[in-house]
Amino acid sequence: MVTDVKVPQDLWQDDGMEAVITNWLASDGANVRNGALIAEIMVEKSQFEITAPADGVLTIGKQVDDIVRKGDVIGKIT
Amino acid sequence: MLDQPTNERRLTIARAMAEAMQQEMQRDPTVFVMGEDIAGFGGIFGNTRGLFEEFGKERVRDTPISETGFISAAVGAAMDGMRPVVELMFVDFFGVCFDAIYNQMAKNTYFAGGNASVPMVLMTSTGGGYSDAGQHSQCLYGTFAHLPGMKVVSPSNAYDAKGLMTAAIRDDNPVVYMFHKQLQGMGWLGTEAGATVNTPEEDYTVEIGKAKVVRAGTDVTLVGLAMGVHNALKAADKLAEDGVSAEVVDLVSLVPLDRETVINSVAKTGRLIVVDEDYHSYGVSGEIIATVTEHDISKLKASPARVTFPDVPIPYARHMEQFCLPNPDKIVAAYRKM
Amino acid sequence: MQPTKEQLLWMYENMVVSRRFEEAIEKVYLEGKTPAFNMANGPIPGEMHLSNGQEPVAVGVCAHLDANDIVTATHRPHHQAIAKGVDLKKMAAEIFGKSTGLAGGRGGHMHLFDSAVNFACSGIIGESCGPACGAALSRKLQGKPGVAVAFLGEGATNQGAFHEAANLAGAWNLPVVFVVEDNSWAISVPKSEATAVTRNDVRAASYHMPGYYVPGNDPYAIFDVAGEAIARAREGKGPTLIEVETYRLAGHFMGDAEQYRPEGEKDELFAKDPIPKMRERLISDGHATKDIDEIEKRAEASVADAITFARESENAPETDALTAVFV
Repeated sequence: MVTDVKVPQDLWQDDGMEAVITNWLASDGANVRNGALIAEIMVEKSQFEITAPADGVLTIGKQVDDIVRKGDVIGKIT
Repeated sequence: MLDQPTNERRLTIARAMAEAMQQEMQRDPTVFVMGEDIAGFGGIFGNTRGLFEEFGKERVRDTPISETGFISAAVGAAMDGMRPVVELMFVDFFGVCFDAIYNQMAKNTYFAGGNASVPMVLMTSTGGGYSDAGQHSQCLYGTFAHLPGMKVVSPSNAYDAKGLMTAAIRDDNPVVYMFHKQLQGMGWLGTEAGATVNTPEEDYTVEIGKAKVVRAGTDVTLVGLAMGVHNALKAADKLAEDGVSAEVVDLVSLVPLDRETVINSVAKTGRLIVVDEDYHSYGVSGEIIATVTEHDISKLKASPARVTFPDVPIPYARHMEQFCLPNPDKIVAAYRKM
Repeated sequence: MQPTKEQLLWMYENMVVSRRFEEAIEKVYLEGKTPAFNMANGPIPGEMHLSNGQEPVAVGVCAHLDANDIVTATHRPHHQAIAKGVDLKKMAAEIFGKSTGLAGGRGGHMHLFDSAVNFACSGIIGESCGPACGAALSRKLQGKPGVAVAFLGEGATNQGAFHEAANLAGAWNLPVVFVVEDNSWAISVPKSEATAVTRNDVRAASYHMPGYYVPGNDPYAIFDVAGEAIARAREGKGPTLIEVETYRLAGHFMGDAEQYRPEGEKDELFAKDPIPKMRERLISDGHATKDIDEIEKRAEASVADAITFARESENAPETDALTAVFV
């Protein structure tokens, strides 16, 4: 079963604002637990946390410094 | 990118430092943290994130802009049974409070003949490369390492960062914990990716006073600290393309200094290049070279070299600062000259 | 002390130049820093501390100073540099790190030195205080005229350097005025949590000098109190401490998400913006709208010129990093 790792819709206010992935805190191919902190993204000057939505193996989609928006898929967990 | 260990968790150095403090504060009620903007803000470099929310304002204290006041207070508290972790926001600010550090924190144990201890951690940010100019970009490794009575450490990665912080808090001696700003993991500052590494969730220590060979090699020894380690590793990659095998030593600690690891490495390779972002003269680079040459100069196949910051205030203009800073290309060039 | 018409228009013009300058600098600063805010990027890298909202303090004080008087300032110096008469082009060029800057790019935004108008600033909190005393002492020793003004933030009043300098000024009866810009915030820490007293004017008593608190970020009120203090100093009657309530409309530094500010605080502050307030008052006091429009046009033009000059100037050779350490 594949779960998308998405940028949550309620993470910050302005829907149109772009964010940047600043850190992946789990590697491509790593086992991650549901709820674990796996990435940090930054909107303008604030850093936000992305947690894993499921248990499984992480495949990274977007890389550090890639620009993303709310709802974008940045990785997958299988 | 594949073959990763299972249940890997990477932390930035900022998170690793905060986690170490959190776990020690859970374990030991005498540990408390103070500094400017370290409470609700979580530290301007992210290193106290979450502590205020968990432990509250008595144990996680924002201070006035009174470094002499609160750092000498930390000395007093430490001598009275507490274990303060106190932040000097930028190492460059030591000028306003150095008496509390080098004359009190570092000497009180000695003045008491070993019958008193000062179990405190002074954590402070170091390093430049992002145009913060002459009063916010220094390393000052030599300044702190030179003066007797304080241990000095500086991690190059999150694993060491957490272990060193835990060790520093548990150490009954004063430890100056220097964290390089470009290794922190702060999005707004740009971060060296190699610093964010797998960091165990359980508490553990990294020995203060032990250097690490982070890359084995045979042709030249590259010695570095903090950001210098990453510069050395990149230089080693470049040298490898030309068939040169470089060994990289991460000093980890300046005091105590693990001279033996450096000596053994140079005995093997015969060549030494020291990478030091601090000022060229009268500092760490000279100390490492002296360590090797006074031990056994016959082991050297070439004169030792050092890649350092020149003896000038750090310039603001980006191209000027970059011209002055150590980088992998300068290390490679130093090897070529040997 | 009431300002003359010339002084009023001078103050207004300098406030507008200051604000337009900060707005222009902010725009350039953000170039290359979106969407990923990395402070190392762009034509103006590093830190940036803008003075939007604090203009009244600079003009209310500097209206009484000339090029011969001394001003020492902080990491948030632009409004004071402008009011003191620092060359706008050279200042902009220094902020851009160019060869035509005040220090050829070596100093940058926090370290602006202009000996032509006796202006200096530095990035260490409290650092402005001692040198102001020293300059004042120098004038006294040489029998030369001149008053020194040290600007500092309310957070800096808790720093040892301030107390030592204030005591020195009081003990030696120096012609120096300490002007504290109280914008309530020391990065994320509010004054109420860091400072033992509510207002710093009461601390003046410890140092044998009069102390004043000026509320409301009002250039007229600041002009009045500063005028008295500077006159006192000129007459050889010694130092004064003035704390001025002002507002920081931008974050502590560019990149500061300001999550520590209570909700609605920024909106309230923007409603109290001192520049439109002064404009309204000038007009209702009978000053010609056309004079005011001209001032605003001139301000835009001089800021635009300064930014263009800075952008188009060359970088100094990188080896200049190694020079000017000694003379």
